[in-house]
Order: sequence, then structure tokens, then C-alpha cells
Amino acid sequence: MPDRKLPRLLQAPAVLLLLVWMLVPLGMTLYFSFIRYVLNNLRHPEWTTPSPSNWRGFGNYQFVLNSKDFLLAIQNSLFIVCSILFLTVTLGILIAVLINKAFPGQGIVRVLLISPFFVMPAVNAVLWINMILDPVLGLQGIAVSGINDVVDGLRQAPVLGSFFSLWPEFEPISFRATQTSAIAVIMMVTWQWTPFAVLIFMTSLQSEDQQQKEAAVLDGAGTWSQFRFLTLPHLGRPIAIVVMIQAIFHLSLYAEIEIVSRGNGNKNLPYLIGEFANNNIGAASATGIFAVILANIVAIFLLRAVGKTLME
Amino acid sequence: MGRIVLDQVSKCFGDVEVIPPLDLTIEDGEFAVFVGPSGCGKSTLLRMIAGLEDLTSGAIAIDGEDVTEVPPSKRGLAMVFQSYALYPHMTVRKNIGFPLRMEKMGQAEIDKRVETASQSLNLTDYLDRKPGQLSGGQRQRVAIGRAIVRDPSAFLFDEPLSNLDAALRVGMRLEISEMHARMKTTMIYVTHDQVEAMTMADKIVVLQAGVIEQVGSPLDLYHKPQNVFVAGFIGSPKMNLFSGPEAAKHGAHTIGIRPEHTDVNTTDGMWEGRVGVAEHLGSDTFIHIHDTGLADMLTVRITGDIAVKHGDKIFLTPQADQIHKFDAQGLRIE
Ligand SMILES: Nc1ncnc2c1ncn2[C@@H]1O[C@H](COP(=O)(O)OP(=O)(O)OP(=O)(O)O)[C@@H](O)[C@H]1O
Ligand SMILES: [Mg+2]
Repeated sequence: MPDRKLPRLLQAPAVLLLLVWMLVPLGMTLYFSFIRYVLNNLRHPEWTTPSPSNWRGFGNYQFVLNSKDFLLAIQNSLFIVCSILFLTVTLGILIAVLINKAFPGQGIVRVLLISPFFVMPAVNAVLWINMILDPVLGLQGIAVSGINDVVDGLRQAPVLGSFFSLWPEFEPISFRATQTSAIAVIMMVTWQWTPFAVLIFMTSLQSEDQQQKEAAVLDGAGTWSQFRFLTLPHLGRPIAIVVMIQAIFHLSLYAEIEIVSRGNGNKNLPYLIGEFANNNIGAASATGIFAVILANIVAIFLLRAVGKTLME
Repeated sequence: MGRIVLDQVSKCFGDVEVIPPLDLTIEDGEFAVFVGPSGCGKSTLLRMIAGLEDLTSGAIAIDGEDVTEVPPSKRGLAMVFQSYALYPHMTVRKNIGFPLRMEKMGQAEIDKRVETASQSLNLTDYLDRKPGQLSGGQRQRVAIGRAIVRDPSAFLFDEPLSNLDAALRVGMRLEISEMHARMKTTMIYVTHDQVEAMTMADKIVVLQAGVIEQVGSPLDLYHKPQNVFVAGFIGSPKMNLFSGPEAAKHGAHTIGIRPEHTDVNTTDGMWEGRVGVAEHLGSDTFIHIHDTGLADMLTVRITGDIAVKHGDKIFLTPQADQIHKFDAQGLRIE
């Protein structure tokens, strides 16, 4: 097939570049994960340069598996990614369906809806944790103390007062605490990424066939049935795309976690890698390999699930 | 059951009156065809009957019951769309069963009805395919299947065959006619193909700019067109229409003669002209004739063939009893 040669030849540089781009980092990570490689060690200065003579086998993997944060990091990674996916897809569909109808000011509303997506992740995190979620200075603190003031006022009221005195004082929630910092991360990332989902779903909704809807109306389908049997299957592919892209992005969340709690009680795999990388490159690389495996499992699992439920 | 009565029904889109108030009755079991040029409001009228489009004024009654405010699904009508409008994510089986599922019918009963419908439409082999894996004709059949399972009181078709190729169109035309003969359900069929209109209809409704020009049986329209528009619209090739002194001789403003009602001769006749294009169809020949002094071009249709070339002199004689006469308003004079 001589006619195939030229196209192949012309594709070659791009393919080669891509391979190098992917394979070199992956190869280095794999290599480092099997040797002892630290940035600083007074007793074993030879470990500070990577070399096959420092071979450690699966030692790094064992070390990572036994470290107390590893399980938490995996759990947290999954918890954060799945929650964000669920929330952004649900909210995205709701908002997209809502603003797909014609209404005055549609253009402005659409632009405003998209805007969170243009905020930088670190800025997003700083804004949320300080200005919105802060228990004293943030909107949350102000709202809670406002409600408390109102309830206080009502306690003085003649008849209802006795009912309101049964109410407890509301406590603002600290989102930097161990139990709640993951929730804060989920909230801020959901806020930022819902516009992405809305954007994709909206374009897809605009290509929906109106005659199918009319046929369904004549067939006796109500609004819910039309949504369930026509719109949702129509959105199947875009949902798969949104889920895939977001899964990739959110498995590597870092800035938000760093800013909210410095990983306190809320590590994910990338954060754990970052911590190891302060000194132990070998362990960090092994964690990286675990992250690759996790990402693949999540991707396959999610695609299956989305495909099964929506496209029948 | 399915007697549909439109009473002073009209439709405006914004300021534009697409359909001025009109009255129309479609009897139970009738096959009514709406024909007219593109944009004349056929689809709009059909959609108003279906309930997909609101009425600006007037009322629609089905079997004596006013359904003007009744939602589409409760009118007991089924519609087949030009683009088929099948549900792309469902199999043929699910597509056909969908209206029954929406009625909350039991699964066993749904299966039975889908089975019956698919047998009568030759779809049994395709039940588990998706619409994307079917040919145009098969998709059309699925759309019809989805309509018949509901046992509607009337079927509405909006140019159902216009996406099919010529051969398939003839086949489907026959199938729909047979279906009507078998089920005896009211059918309203929109088309701009007058062969479909002539061959299928019990009653043809000719529309122009939202106005009903004439209602009648196919042969009624062919033999007694009420006005110039219907005369020119029904029949293929088109009727030759012209005014002037020749028309005045017959005491009319405009006269019309169908191509097939004109005798042709190369030696003598009433009108003289020059042969333009001759279209040989084998069984028939259509000859376009110029320079008659009557109209830009006349068309005649002769059975078999005739030995004439482009530019030859030719003579025409209209069959006297087949001349249609119209007055200055374009209305028929008996
Ligand atoms: N939603 C709408 N808004 C405004 N005008 C419309 C709308 N739908 C149809 N019209 C107008 O109403 C007129 C009738 O349209 P309709 O679709 O009924 O024509 P039709 O007879 O079915 O034509 P065709 O044979 O091309 O399908 C057209 O002039 C069209 O432009
Ligand atoms: Mg139309």
C-alpha cells in the first residue's frame, strides 16, 4: 500500500511527540517507584540520586499502602469526585432544561451562568472559604448570626415567644474542620463546574428534535415522560462526556484542598503525592501509579454506568 | 367513529393571518386529502386539528364533542409526521408500544397489540432494531404502526411519503389506501403531490393561502373545477388556461382545456402553433406548443407517439364539450 505511506509519514511527528509526552513521564514515574529516591538523607547520601543500584522492588508500594493516610486519600478522592459529578450533572441538567425555554433576558442569564467557570481554582477556593463559608466573617457567619438575632427577637413576642424559646441557638459550621473540609471542597468545585455541564447540556438540548416531542405529546406523554424518555436519552452522550472530563480533572484536585485545610483530614491522592514529594520521591511515584490505576477504574466504571442507565 | 367538524376556524401567527375563518366537515370513515401549494397552511390546519397548534378563533368538534380546549392526547387522534419523528433511543417494539405504555396499559396487552400491528405492517423482523438501523420505508411503517396501535378515531398524515423514493412511494400509497379500506377509520392526509391526492382521496380539499378553494371528490375536481386556481392545480400536465378574444368567443373571460382533451393534427385544426419540447413517456407524449397567439405555451397530451420535430408546424383542436369557462372573477360558468 504505497498510497498509505505518505499520510503515515506526515502523522508520525505528532504521534511521536504524543508518545514521548505520555510515555516519558509515565516511565520515569514507574522507574522511581521501584527505587529508593529521596531528596535529603544524611545517613544514606547515595539515595539522593536516582540509580538502579538503589532498587527497592515493591517496597515503595508497601510503604504507601501501610501509610496511615493512604486509605483516607483513596476514600476521599472517590467521595469528592463522585459527589461533584453527581451534583454538577444533576444541577447542570436542571438548569439547562430551565433556561432552554425562551424568556426575556435569556442572553444575560446565560453569560452570568457561565461566568464561574472563568474563575481560577485557587481564587475560587479563597473566595469561598473566606468570604462565604467562614463561620465569623463569611456570609455563613453573618447569616447564622442574623437568624439567631431574629429568633432572639421572636422570643420576646407575646404568645409565640414561648415556642421560640424552645429553639436552640444556631451554631455556624467551620468548614476547615476535619469532618467538613471535604464538603467545602465539593461545594466550591460544584459551583465552578456546574456552568461547564450547563453549557454542554444546553447545546445538546438545542439540537433536540421538536417533532419527536410533538409526537410524544400526541402519544400521551406528559412533561415528565417526555423528559425521561426523550430528553434524558438524548443527553446520554453529553452526560458521558461531562462525567469523563470532570472525573479526569477532579481526580487531580489540589489547590482547593491545600487552601481549605492544608490537607488536614481531607487528603486526596494528588495531595498525598505532594506530601511524599517533599522528600520521598520513590513513595510519591508509587502513589502516582496508584492514582493512575484508580483513574482508570473510575473511568471504566463511570462510562459503563452512564451508558447502561441512559442509552439502554 | 371520527366525524370532524371545523367551525369558523382561523389562525394568526402574530399579525399574519395564515388561515382566515373556514368551515369544513370530514365525515366518519372518510379519506380526506388537503392539497395546495407550499405555504398555503395545510400543515397548520392539520396541526390545529391535532391540537398541536392553538386556534385563534373558531371551534373544532370530533363526533359532536367540542374539543377546542381538549389537550392533544385526549382527542383520540394519531398523527404521522413527514420526518417520522420516531424515538431514536427506543427499539421499534418500544416505539410502537410507547403510546400504550403512556396509557398505563399492561405489558401483556401491549406486547399483543405491538405484535398484531407489526404483523400487518411486515415489521416483525425489525422489532428489536433502533430506528437508525432502518430504511426510510421501514421507518415510515414504524410511524404508522405507532399510530394504529392506539386505535384512534382518526389518523392525521402530514406528507408522510415525501421523503421516500418514487417506487416506494407508489407502494406505500397503496398500503395506506388498503389500510383505509380495511379499517374504515377517518383519515386526513396532507400532500402537495396531486397524484397521491387523486388516487387516495374520497374527498379532496384544495387550499390556497389558507382559503378553501374547493371541496369535492377527485373526479368532481377534475371535471368541474370551481375556479381557475383549482382548474390549474388539479391535473397533470396542467390545464391550458388563457383569456382574450378566443375566450370571448366562448362567452367567457378565461377558458381552459386539458392537454388530454386536445386533438392534434399536422395538417389542419382550430389553432396553429409550433412544436417546442416533446416529452416521450412511451405510453404518452407531452408536446409543448409555442406561437399559438393564445398563451406563452400550450401543452397537449396524446396517447402513443406522433412524428413531429422541434420547430414543426402543428394544429390543435379542443374537444368542444371539454372546454372549461370562467368569468372575470375566475369562477366557473356552466
Ligand atoms: N410557527 C410559525 N410562526 C409563524 N409563521 C408560521 C409558523 N408556522 C407556519 N407559519 C406560516 O404559515 C404558513 C403556512 O404554513 P404551513 O406549514 O401550514 O404550510 P404548508 O401548506 O404545510 O406548506 P408545505 O407544503 O411547504 O409544508 C406559511 O406561510 C408559514 O410561513
Ligand atoms: Mg407542511
